Amino acid sequence: MYHRSVIFLPLLAILVQALSGAPVDALQAPAGAKAIVFLFTSTECPISNRYAPEVHRIAKSFASKGVVFRLVYPSPSEDAAAIREHMAAFSYAGSADAVRDPKSALVKFVGATVTPEAAIFANGRIVYRGRIDDRFVDLGRERPAPTERDLFDALTAVVAGTPVPHATTQAVGCFISDLVR
Amino acid sequence: MKAWLVAIAVLVVVHDFSHANVAPAFGVAPAFGVAQAFGVAQAFGVAQGLGPAVPVFTKDVAPLLVDRCATCHHPGGSAPFSLLTYADAKRHASQIAVVTTNRFMPPWKADPADGPFVGQHPLSAGEIGMLRQWADAGAPEGDALRQAQGRRAPASPVWTDGWQLGKPDLVITLPQAYTLPAEGTDAFRIFVLPIPVATARFVRGLEFRPGNPKVVHHANIRIDTTPASRRLDEADPAPGYDGLIPRSATYPDGHFLGWTPGQVAPLLPNDLSWRLEKHTDLVVELHMQPSGKPEQVSPSIGLYFGDTAPTRTPVMLRLGRQNIDIPAGDANYTITDSYTVPVDVEVEAVQPHAHYRAHDVRGEATLPDGSKKALIDIADWDFRWQHVYRFVTPMRLPKGTTLSMRYTYDNSAANARNPQQPPARARWGQLSAEEMGDLWIQVVPRDGRDLDLLSRDFRPKVAAEDVRGYESEIEKHPGDTGLHNDVALLYLELGRADHAVAHFQTSVALKPQSAVAHYNLGTALTVGRRLDEAAGEYREALRIDPAYANAHNNLGNVLLAQQRFDDAIREFREVVRLQPESAAAKKNLAAAIAAAEKKPHD
Repeated sequence: MYHRSVIFLPLLAILVQALSGAPVDALQAPAGAKAIVFLFTSTECPISNRYAPEVHRIAKSFASKGVVFRLVYPSPSEDAAAIREHMAAFSYAGSADAVRDPKSALVKFVGATVTPEAAIFANGRIVYRGRIDDRFVDLGRERPAPTERDLFDALTAVVAGTPVPHATTQAVGCFISDLVR
Repeated sequence: MKAWLVAIAVLVVVHDFSHANVAPAFGVAPAFGVAQAFGVAQAFGVAQGLGPAVPVFTKDVAPLLVDRCATCHHPGGSAPFSLLTYADAKRHASQIAVVTTNRFMPPWKADPADGPFVGQHPLSAGEIGMLRQWADAGAPEGDALRQAQGRRAPASPVWTDGWQLGKPDLVITLPQAYTLPAEGTDAFRIFVLPIPVATARFVRGLEFRPGNPKVVHHANIRIDTTPASRRLDEADPAPGYDGLIPRSATYPDGHFLGWTPGQVAPLLPNDLSWRLEKHTDLVVELHMQPSGKPEQVSPSIGLYFGDTAPTRTPVMLRLGRQNIDIPAGDANYTITDSYTVPVDVEVEAVQPHAHYRAHDVRGEATLPDGSKKALIDIADWDFRWQHVYRFVTPMRLPKGTTLSMRYTYDNSAANARNPQQPPARARWGQLSAEEMGDLWIQVVPRDGRDLDLLSRDFRPKVAAEDVRGYESEIEKHPGDTGLHNDVALLYLELGRADHAVAHFQTSVALKPQSAVAHYNLGTALTVGRRLDEAAGEYREALRIDPAYANAHNNLGNVLLAQQRFDDAIREFREVVRLQPESAAAKKNLAAAIAAAEKKPHD
């Protein structure tokens, strides 16, 4: 719903906070970037955290292809210090930068509901929103290995300039509605 | 059992009042004998004019969380987060609604109609509906009175922060923490810990503390009185080792050991304790779930000792199949097994075991009169929650009762937990990618005579099943002499010396320079009355290792049986020379000399 409005209002800024506290436009990509991957996360969500090695792998695969990774922390109670500590513990430096979204501006823009949930912003719109892969079927039901690597496949399509196979998928994880209460 | 049923009834009733928001409730509530606090809470809600009542934390949610969840979900507990305070619970409100609705939590897989079992606290459909309403309403906290009380859940705590069974008599910890890698779905590691006791002790309890509850998911615990497990651990320079628990590591005297979150085996009465010998190792297999970053894992185990020797000993029965062979894609593969007890027994506890493909797990008892009693029914088996289900009141079963099990497996792609995608043939094996199907049943016979009868009646059944498992493993690993040796010993136990000889011959072929291999083969040949060949193998063992006292001894026995007395005496003298402190050696020599003097043709 929201990404349609972007098509009509391409100058809309989605204001989030840099870790310095400064307001920044989440959609503002560094020069030369082809796509931004937003990864909604939380310092405490075990499912998000368990994906850290996979996120590093995907980020590394697409770093040279103009894709930047941006961790998005929607919980208002997770401050810059907690986020820095979290990024250090899970070795995110070099894979991704981070923004806070305490007013859920980006959460609403993307339509994210859980952590971890990924969204790809490319060519002025959200071209993918959903799970990283299908490892988690439900809370408490998990595959030993993914059979669909949705985020990886979507990025491959974006980089190749072809349509994303599935524009939305259902992510499983910790509810953002719980984090922002 | 009755006590908690009443508690649920009370909660539901009070909850319904809050919904109807009717004034007469205040008059009724105390009549149920509930704490006056419930009435007070209600009064606050109404006085403040909150409008149509929705469930609130203080009055509706907190008592439930304390009663059913806080055993694990408290600070320092075995769950990954606490649910004790409003701030804790609110941050998980939607999650609580989802995981209770899909019955992932509380983690209780058995049909609520079975048992009753120790620690069985299912949520009713009404309670689950209430949690959903609470989350949907935005997780409201409730009245100010409770806030003034420090936002703690109102009921009294049902846990302690330290050891649940009290201060242990002995605490065993890993000498060095294990570092669990960042990634993986399920990780397994086996740790072997010497139990430092100076004399034999009688164990009444064992409590496992995971150390790192974020990653430690369950513990499979055995004891090993042989050095087999220790050697495997020592061969890996890091703490613990990857692989399998050797068969020499067992449950002690028919007692379950092990841990799943939220479960603590109660202390045994003195008369049902188990005897811990000196130089015994604790073998602890941890099932862990990596967290996304490397984690330090350092569990500890507390042992509780009693003063007196046990007078009753349970028997661990095991139903199950080791010839499991599930075709790829088969969504409905079934195994069954049964055993009829030759004596009266009381069933203390059951524990089903299977891996990722099992989905329907059933066990029942059919009494001699044809009536049936459920042992366990799990309609959606989950490898991750392998509880020991302990009957609150042991189930009495008369002699002639048939215990049976029926497990169904889904080896199709539709089973999300299937470790192989696309599905592949799955055979029996202890690796988690293979499949198992056991139902352990702990029974206590009436007395020592019945214990002996039951043990002797049951042993051949389990040995025969173990043989199937070994033969399947040997097909996968034909060059593993350890497997050949173990299965040969089982064949000897089952009185099938010819099969034992064949496996020991394979071991000899694999390790022709091993004195032990020749010695083992000689032993099996001796049992099979193939004495000339046996003597040849002992001699070969002694050619490789001339100081092999047991080989001299067994060769002596063969020669004695062949009435070659002088040769036999020479061998027994050699044993005495090699083991001058052995009374048995002297006795054998004396017996051989005596036999030589009585030889018929002299």
